[in-house]
Amino acid sequence: MAEMTSATPSGLSREQEEEAFYHEAALNAAWTGSRLMIGIVTSGLGGFVFAFFYLRSVNSHGNWYPSSLTPPNKIEGLLIMALTVASAIIQSVGLTQIKAGRKQPWFAAAVAALLLGLVAAALQIWQLTILPFQPGQAGFASVFVGAMPVFALLVLGCMVWLEILVARSRNIPDISFVEQPPTFDEAADVQRFQANLSAFTLFYNFTAVAALVLWLLFYVVH
Amino acid sequence: MAIETEAGTTQRPGGPDPVGTPGAGAWWARPALHTGVIGAIIGYAFGHWLGNYWAVPTANSPAAYQQIGTSDGNDFAIVLGYTFMLVGWLIGLGVFNDLVKLMLGKRLPQNGHEANGGVAKYFRFTLDHKVVGIQYLIGMIIYFCTAGLLAMGIRTELLSPVHHVFSSSVYVEIVGEHGTMMMMLMTSVILGPFGNYLIPLMIGSKRVAFPRIEALSFWLTPAAFLVLLSALPLGGFHFGWTGYPTLSVQDTSGADAYAFAFGLMGISMILASFNILVTVICYRAPGMRWGRLPMFVWGILGTGTMMALAAPILSGGMYMLLLDRTAQTAFFTDNLGGSTYLYEDLFWFFGHPEVYILALPGFAIVSELLPVFTRKPLFGYKVASAGMIGVTLLSFFVWQHHLFDSGIDPDMRPLYMLTTELISIPTGFIFLVGMGTLWKAKIRFTVPMLFCLAFYFNFLIGGISGVYLSDVPADTTEHGSFFVMAHFHYTIMGGLIFAFMGGCYYWLPKMMGISLNEKLGRVHFWLMFIAFNSTFLPLFAVGLAGQPRRVFEYARNLTTLNDWVSISSFFLGVSILIFIINFVWSTVVVRNRETGNPWKSRGLEWQVSSPPPADNFETVPVVLSGPYEYGVKDAPPVADLNPPVGVLAAGLSESETARAEA
Repeated sequence: MAEMTSATPSGLSREQEEEAFYHEAALNAAWTGSRLMIGIVTSGLGGFVFAFFYLRSVNSHGNWYPSSLTPPNKIEGLLIMALTVASAIIQSVGLTQIKAGRKQPWFAAAVAALLLGLVAAALQIWQLTILPFQPGQAGFASVFVGAMPVFALLVLGCMVWLEILVARSRNIPDISFVEQPPTFDEAADVQRFQANLSAFTLFYNFTAVAALVLWLLFYVVH
Repeated sequence: MAIETEAGTTQRPGGPDPVGTPGAGAWWARPALHTGVIGAIIGYAFGHWLGNYWAVPTANSPAAYQQIGTSDGNDFAIVLGYTFMLVGWLIGLGVFNDLVKLMLGKRLPQNGHEANGGVAKYFRFTLDHKVVGIQYLIGMIIYFCTAGLLAMGIRTELLSPVHHVFSSSVYVEIVGEHGTMMMMLMTSVILGPFGNYLIPLMIGSKRVAFPRIEALSFWLTPAAFLVLLSALPLGGFHFGWTGYPTLSVQDTSGADAYAFAFGLMGISMILASFNILVTVICYRAPGMRWGRLPMFVWGILGTGTMMALAAPILSGGMYMLLLDRTAQTAFFTDNLGGSTYLYEDLFWFFGHPEVYILALPGFAIVSELLPVFTRKPLFGYKVASAGMIGVTLLSFFVWQHHLFDSGIDPDMRPLYMLTTELISIPTGFIFLVGMGTLWKAKIRFTVPMLFCLAFYFNFLIGGISGVYLSDVPADTTEHGSFFVMAHFHYTIMGGLIFAFMGGCYYWLPKMMGISLNEKLGRVHFWLMFIAFNSTFLPLFAVGLAGQPRRVFEYARNLTTLNDWVSISSFFLGVSILIFIINFVWSTVVVRNRETGNPWKSRGLEWQVSSPPPADNFETVPVVLSGPYEYGVKDAPPVADLNPPVGVLAAGLSESETARAEA
């Protein structure tokens, strides 16, 4: 990929020059946008983390985590977290493959990551339907019931993004990741795809970290 | 490996929108406002039915939601109705069309400037930032006027302490609707219309970074507006705009509308700010260095940053409130392990940056306009931009001052008193930059300039009373009184709305190619300025005399002052009416064409025709100098609008080299 972005257009017409200019801007936008998204989602999840520690430290009426509360199933929690993290790791490994010009290994990794992510989200939703406590039974129960659907939605959103990348990649010939495509449009398409994929991978890795943090909070610290 | 330079397809102005190309098929079959409404109605009906089906206990399913099913209103069904209404609304508008195409692996056009489509394009989900800007403008005027009418209702009730127009309950509902509508929707009153329309023009770009996200940010606002209005038939809400539990958890179903609408508006803010921030960072024309950014762009950059980081907390807080009301969680119920203070912290972590989300765009507009009408460079450009960055950063460290009287640890009060007083320093920077620009200037007293000057006058009163209120003893004394109300109306209405009006008179010739009537504009300004001060200045006295907010009865000895205020507020309403008449008269009836640069501004947006061409610029401009070099000898033109071929490529080469070195 580094090779693909290092070329300098020269001898361009005005229209081509502008296309190249906005193409560059779009690549930067993917980079900037993914970082900004991480900031926004951190802020959103930060609200739940704040709620967790606030209610835990206040422990109103001793009802943050009363002894009568049956905790959520630890194996389910571990599985959801592990699936999300594994999915992100597989996708990251896939990214290194496509950067090296090997599309098919990435494609396989992306499909695997997609399936694992979907299973993680589905498992999270299923877990919410069979919780061993009522939503208002305790402070902990409330934060859990509030935060985990958001997490599931976050993972599902990531999977939609990944599915789009997988679908888009099918229109790009394998050779385009190895050799320079013949037209500017095709080359730009490949670069945008790669920029988008890098942005996604970063954001999905962040989601995996979020999964780990939430797991630590709800299953280890509580 | 070099990229081949053979061009494929060039960008197509007026290229296909997600809702289809204008002219393709019958108008009623294409996604637009009407299909959105149909989708919303179907969605609400379905969601409400589903909520009742799930929540109401039956012989087969008697368990979990019995408590909801037997309460006086099924909040679960109402919230689910709103949720599906939103989904139906967006499907009807065609918002998801492109997403589906992407998921099927199809390519999308990069941008879509609406070169045609007539008036119909304003009723569609469109990718043209200029159309979105106009949509925002009309939307914001409608929202503002609706909330303003509610304010008229409040002042009508307060004409007498004993004879009532409304019941106490209805009065509080009107107060809550007015406050919430103003505080949630007016966050976008400048970023929405002017930010979306003008920022690409000001930074020399033909595009925005994420046109679909930009358009979506607008189309969420009518949904939020209507959901909020729907609180009234649902019994209203009785806790003002702040929504404090436990009242907000226990209140009638109108509270569902409040929480849903406010949370939705939070999402709209996130989306709008996301697009604006990335656009400013990545889509600036060559030569548009940070040191040449117009002050308006700096202001919107700060506003966008605050929105992006604070609004997620708001949406999260509203989501928790909805869960407490529907899924019976206990986030804010103390005896079940929750805490009402949690809500206060979450709300004000958004709520206080929000004050600057409202104030900063106002400063941005007046800082942009002053050099134009004083024909002087902006005094202290770097100080002003540093002030805006300072306000943005500090805005996140002051929220606890809203809890001075809510049981905050007394030892924490001095810290937050200090941070609150500290923020007056960068605010003062921006203010003094304005004063420095006015100093010894030959001022052109046009209508936009009059509004700018009024902004400084009003904000001075609002700002100083704010510093006074940041002091713990003063705050404790005046908490909950009309004094506080007068203070924030001076900053928000006296600041933001006056700046908005100035912006309308200044930029409407650019946005619509039509100038507003100058005479009516002057009548509007003077009536609004006098009536505004006549309305809100006495309220400081009313507050000091002890009249509390949100109470419809008051001491008889305050009748004269209240009558004065009410009558003044009616005049204030008349001044807004004059603006509406001027707007409609000038844009629909007379249509006084203005195609050039009526203010002789150096702003990049004024260097192209009015309204701007479909693609904003014929070619990507190269910025040569700052926007405020008025009266500077031998100042170069602000930009080369027709740079020679090769300049952009040279810029790209430089960035490639820098990247390679990095």
